[in-house]
Amino acid sequence: MDEILAEFIAETLETLDVLSGEVVAWEADPTDKSRLDAFFRFFHTVKGSCGFLNLPRFERLAHGAEDVLAAVRRGERIADPATVTAVLAVMDRIGALARGIGEDEQIAESDDDALLDALSLNSGGFELFDPLPPKQVAPTTVETPDVTEIANDDEIHMETAPAEAPARRSSDGAGRERAPRTIRLPLALIDQLMNGISDMVLARNDLARKMRDHGVDPELEGSFERLSANVADLRDMISKTRMQRVDRLYAAIPRMVRDLTRELGKKAVLELDGGDVEMDREMVEMVVDPLTHIVRNALDHGIEAPADRLVAGKAEAGTLRIVARQSGNQIVIEIGDDGRGINRAALVEKAVAAGLYSPVEAAALSETEKLNLIFHPGLTTAAQVTSISGRGVGMDVVRANIEQIGGVIGITSAYGHGTTITMRVPLTLTIIPGLIVRCGDHFFAMPRGNVVELLHQNSAMISIESIGGASIATIRGERYSVVDLEDVLKVPRLAETTGPRTLMVVRSSIGQPYVLGVQGVESNEELVIRPATPVVTAAGVFAGMTLPDNGQPMLLLDAAGIAQVAQLPLRESDARGRPATEQAETEVRTDMIQALIYRERDGAERLLPLAVVDRVEDLEPGQITISGGHAFARIDDRLLPALNTIGHETAPPKSLRLYDGHEQICYLIDDVVDIIEVPAKLDVQLAAGRIAGLVMVGDMQFEMLDPFMLFAEAATRNARGADQSARPIQCLIADAEDPWMRTILAPLLIQAGHDVSFGVAAEGEPDVILCSDAQAVETAAEVPVLALRALADPTAGAPASIYRYDRDTLMAAIAQAARRAA
Amino acid sequence: MTQNLFLFASIADAPIAIRSTEIEAVVRLGDIVPIPLVPPHVRGLAALRSRVLTIIDMESRIFGRDNRDQRATLAIVADIAAHSYGFLVDTVSDICQAPDGIRPIRGRIDPAWAPYAAGLVEQGGRSHLLLSLSDFVAAPGASALAA
Repeated sequence: MDEILAEFIAETLETLDVLSGEVVAWEADPTDKSRLDAFFRFFHTVKGSCGFLNLPRFERLAHGAEDVLAAVRRGERIADPATVTAVLAVMDRIGALARGIGEDEQIAESDDDALLDALSLNSGGFELFDPLPPKQVAPTTVETPDVTEIANDDEIHMETAPAEAPARRSSDGAGRERAPRTIRLPLALIDQLMNGISDMVLARNDLARKMRDHGVDPELEGSFERLSANVADLRDMISKTRMQRVDRLYAAIPRMVRDLTRELGKKAVLELDGGDVEMDREMVEMVVDPLTHIVRNALDHGIEAPADRLVAGKAEAGTLRIVARQSGNQIVIEIGDDGRGINRAALVEKAVAAGLYSPVEAAALSETEKLNLIFHPGLTTAAQVTSISGRGVGMDVVRANIEQIGGVIGITSAYGHGTTITMRVPLTLTIIPGLIVRCGDHFFAMPRGNVVELLHQNSAMISIESIGGASIATIRGERYSVVDLEDVLKVPRLAETTGPRTLMVVRSSIGQPYVLGVQGVESNEELVIRPATPVVTAAGVFAGMTLPDNGQPMLLLDAAGIAQVAQLPLRESDARGRPATEQAETEVRTDMIQALIYRERDGAERLLPLAVVDRVEDLEPGQITISGGHAFARIDDRLLPALNTIGHETAPPKSLRLYDGHEQICYLIDDVVDIIEVPAKLDVQLAAGRIAGLVMVGDMQFEMLDPFMLFAEAATRNARGADQSARPIQCLIADAEDPWMRTILAPLLIQAGHDVSFGVAAEGEPDVILCSDAQAVETAAEVPVLALRALADPTAGAPASIYRYDRDTLMAAIAQAARRAA
Repeated sequence: MTQNLFLFASIADAPIAIRSTEIEAVVRLGDIVPIPLVPPHVRGLAALRSRVLTIIDMESRIFGRDNRDQRATLAIVADIAAHSYGFLVDTVSDICQAPDGIRPIRGRIDPAWAPYAAGLVEQGGRSHLLLSLSDFVAAPGASALAA
């Protein structure tokens, strides 16, 4: 009985899988008789088997759905969306119950009533994308099955079901070409079969060797050849038993798209292609989750609401297209939508906000790199988190899953026109093409997918240099770290070397490509991979084991593991590590500041203190407006003063966003060059408008811009001229935490030749104390205090305060205070 | 009935017993392919028809010795957690019932054996230390402690 029950569950679930794709097609065309018949048969079979197996709950549900479908068949009822949804809900419940058999978790039986009520509700005319009405408890008894009716039905089907079932199944096979006749086999049996064939291949190879050694007559050899060819065919065939059509992967998607579009109030047309491509069943399992996730993303973030689409001049319903095809030994699955695409600028902004890149690094990213940020943990472009996606835990997991099975994921997107995600996965998990490499006395296998290129050590294309213990190879201008496999595995090299070593350019999922040196590459084989034992994988460099045709067991190398064991730089560590060390250094060496080298629009290279640069951004020409002789840039719905405009903007200008803690301005430039450290005190002090002075960097000298002047210019547009005092004056800035004081005022004072200290408790006797008017400080000593206010209006701040961008008054006040102190 | 069925063998001149339920077969090994970067008690890989066995040297694990230059011919084959292993033994004497079952260890045994010996099994007038194969494939961290 248990066996029959297990078979019933398996068969029900499988039929459900197939049907869920059809139900949407049926909704689109309710007049399609053959589909309706298929559903009707499903519920009828479930009902029949349930009576036999004594599963009253299944039976009640199936009976309810069958009644409704019967009414539709008779033309008494139409298959409107509400009906379809109700039928789907019953199908889901049957699936859930079937999965729940034998498990502890149970669904309350009372829930079934709500489903049946929804079924019996003859609604007639719901809009396609309206939400479902709340579950009704109206006493509509018309179509609710009553107990006696079930009992009657029961008896009939008890007798007919067993006889009817096989007949129906065979007619299914004839009627629908897409479903060939199948039987159900345990996977373990197939694995055993595969092992048996592998044994046979090994025995054949052994025999072939012995026959070669002994020399046999041609007749025997002919027979052996025939046997050998048969064995090879058999091996290919048995490999195919593991294959499944991609259709299985597609089965759940139409239903998902339908449900999601309803939930989101969107419209989408789904196109599926390439369902007849075959891939390893294990691979199918591994791809289901990533594919589901990408489809959800496409519907949630990609495809716009119908109204927005019409505004954008697109068809009201979006298109989601999924194509599978075989390309060599890979399966390529493309998921494309014609939605709004990915906003690269928003992604970059988030990456900068999350501290992944500094603004300068972010500005240097290529378009592809920007797009690939979407695979970074925690980054999402979704403005809001919805129930479907947007929590930022997604694409990184998708990429990890795909790479785990040796696949690659790529993305292309045109902003406003749609996104296409391409997954490339190997045909099968268990048989991979591999290179057999020699390393000392050992042989290892390396997956061919990881190897980009093979070179001989003495090739003219490659030059290897050794620097500080590290060895670096240059191939066609690209630099790679070089590791020798013998060193990683700690095995001795061969004493007498024969010929040049072989260098493999190896790419792994986690790091930059590197060069792996081996004694030689012996051969190229299709390898059946099995998992290695835990104690072997603990070494960190082995991915599995295999038994090649020579019968000697061999370990499969893990390209990523070797990079880790050899401590090669990983993909993100260099980008991330740099800002951290910079920060550490600025804390220790207070007499040095970081400065940005940039190219002005006239081509001159100048410096700006990095502390005032908030970000580097690309502006559209349309974002720049000129008003009243002054230029402004519109950024995030704010107008910021823009310096350096060249009248009418044509090419998209780059802009440095400068930030003094309160105000932002845009400083338009040609490009960013580099970041360097320079002394806080300028080598030559000038007072020429925006230029603060000259700084020597190596054998070059740069003009350092005066951020104080830039802000003053932007704020008042009339702060000109400068007053420099030659005497060092001890200035104390009361509030060390105030960003304006620290990044704008303090450098100004230092550049003017004054000495600056921070905090009230600072040592030494200051000549003058500077503070903001909002946080005036009281001092016991007769040290003059200058209060600075943020606004130009004299009535806006504290009495006797000085407007902080009124440079002349400020400098004069400092000089006067210092004279008084002296 | 298989409850009291044991394989009697020896390693490092000590008589040992292993429950027959843990064992799949006893085989003569061909070549062992050594594995770099693994603890010394993992001797290497050996092919058994189309299967690949990971060969474990119990003696090396118990005493923390490196026996990798010694010959190894006889192994007990067992599947543990879906992986196939071969456990090296010096000799195999018998598979038979032990009517007295498992008895506690009396007296102090060598501390090296202590983490592995679970009891004594009497056969042919001699006591054999009862070992469990799965103790020898546990994480390498546990190995360091035991050794």
